[in-house]
Amino acid sequence: MIIKAGSIRKGMYILFKNEPALVTKTDFMSPGKGSAFMRAKFKNLKTGKVVEFTHKSTESVEEIEISSVQMQYLYSDGTDLVFMNPDTYDQVEVPQKLVGDKAQLLIPEAKVYIMTYDDQPIGVIFPQKINLKVVYAEEAVAGNTMGTAKKEIKLETGLIVLAPIFIKEGETVVIDTETFSFVSRA
Amino acid sequence: MKNWKKIRESGLENQLLAGKFLIREKVMDAVRKFFKNAGFREVETPLLVQSPGTEPYLEVFESELVTPGYDNKKSYLLTSPELSMKKLLSAGLGNIFQICKSFRNGEGLSSFHNPEFTILEWYRVKADYLDIMKDCENLFLFILNELGLNEDGKNTLIYQGIEYDLSTPWERISVSEAFKKYAGMSIEEMLDSEKLVWIAKEKGYEVDDQMTWEQAYNQILLNEIEPFLGKKEMAEEMNTSKKNTGAAESTGKTKPTILYDYPAYQAALSKKKNSDPRFAERFEFYIGGIELGNAFSELTDAGEQEARMIDDLNLRKKLGKTEYKMDKDSIEALELGMPQTGGIAVGVDRLVMLFADAGSIKETLFFPVEDVFDY
Repeated sequence: MIIKAGSIRKGMYILFKNEPALVTKTDFMSPGKGSAFMRAKFKNLKTGKVVEFTHKSTESVEEIEISSVQMQYLYSDGTDLVFMNPDTYDQVEVPQKLVGDKAQLLIPEAKVYIMTYDDQPIGVIFPQKINLKVVYAEEAVAGNTMGTAKKEIKLETGLIVLAPIFIKEGETVVIDTETFSFVSRA
Repeated sequence: MKNWKKIRESGLENQLLAGKFLIREKVMDAVRKFFKNAGFREVETPLLVQSPGTEPYLEVFESELVTPGYDNKKSYLLTSPELSMKKLLSAGLGNIFQICKSFRNGEGLSSFHNPEFTILEWYRVKADYLDIMKDCENLFLFILNELGLNEDGKNTLIYQGIEYDLSTPWERISVSEAFKKYAGMSIEEMLDSEKLVWIAKEKGYEVDDQMTWEQAYNQILLNEIEPFLGKKEMAEEMNTSKKNTGAAESTGKTKPTILYDYPAYQAALSKKKNSDPRFAERFEFYIGGIELGNAFSELTDAGEQEARMIDDLNLRKKLGKTEYKMDKDSIEALELGMPQTGGIAVGVDRLVMLFADAGSIKETLFFPVEDVFDY
């Protein structure tokens, strides 16, 4: 859909220099009390590179349709993460760099949404919270009963987070996928 | 979450959060002290007026003044207190300053704009824009000291992880030098509407037959120049990639940048340069690519002022902006005589943001517009 650059909002998908991009920041500008411009940061969905560009507010830009399908994580081949559609058994490969640090949240069969544009995967949306098993946690030191005391625990994906000292090895815990932080026991 | 609730949750002792709001009072105190020490009078002028400034691209908030026994009058919140302050200069008040609210409608959401914002204006008589440049340098150093941020005496302001050296003099670069240095363009190319639009097209900007000189100039300024002003590392990167400059020398430190001598089309209320009337005595200054203030050697010629205002009002009409009458008193003030004056408007919210080390003015306003209206 063609929109005016003045209507670009954070979170929109825009075709920027013929590449699909996510808008990560927008700022209205009127230089020297002049005409209106829209400065925005565009994250290229294929390369992950963020570019700042300032459009005239009246300029036309193309907002693009992104579709998303729930899929299961299978494995990583080092450069790509492989997901499968549990209904059709179709597999897609998502470049690891599109997922970034969040790859540390994936365990086999984890359900996520794969975003596609023009049938190309361009990103992965995680649920807000996921459950992960604790594979290593030091025993709590007897006598240390301070309510705020925290320790590092290691999760089954290799991710290390801070958790209350009462969390034990073998337990399953809830992790916030935005902040990578401990939420509660599962 | 709304800012007042964030403060309630985190408590005033949380300097990381509450400190960003509480620093405003200290910055305002410092500004007042600076100007009072220098013998400036603090003045108050109306925010609700019949004839706001004629800047063609600014939109106003419109209301109606109701007085029993009289016809209702269209009224407007002003976009800056400039015209009233110039009447006071004509009245003979001498050096004056004001901190007040100003209002601009129709602007998009942004980290650096709020429809209702705080503006600092000061006017120094028997002076010009060069004197105002010095005032800016001295004001920033004064605030740094008053806030206790300069205990090591190095004049360093840390903003968003970058150290800025506020020592005088700041970097100065003229608009034509900046277009040459960052955009590779000559003065003739920059000033000629046809050439400029053609170059914008060559550079890959969207150009249609509606594209004006002003749009092409500002789009190149915003994309290729402004992000580098008052931002050393990137500027030097550009320098090494384009060794054809010979413009401002590098000091090895990140300094605020004063961009001066605007094309005469951008003169607004400034005087044209006697030595080269293609340019006007106007400057803006930047730290970290953020524009902080806009200054003029004030235009004192009543005839030229009136002609520019008529042009502005015509352009407003063409652009579909709110129409109102010209402030005739502001012309009369010049006819009666206004001393040669340097004047400037500084965005106080951006000033606070800078000294609070906040990435957006919205992190320093108790009630940014998003917390006042439903979005």
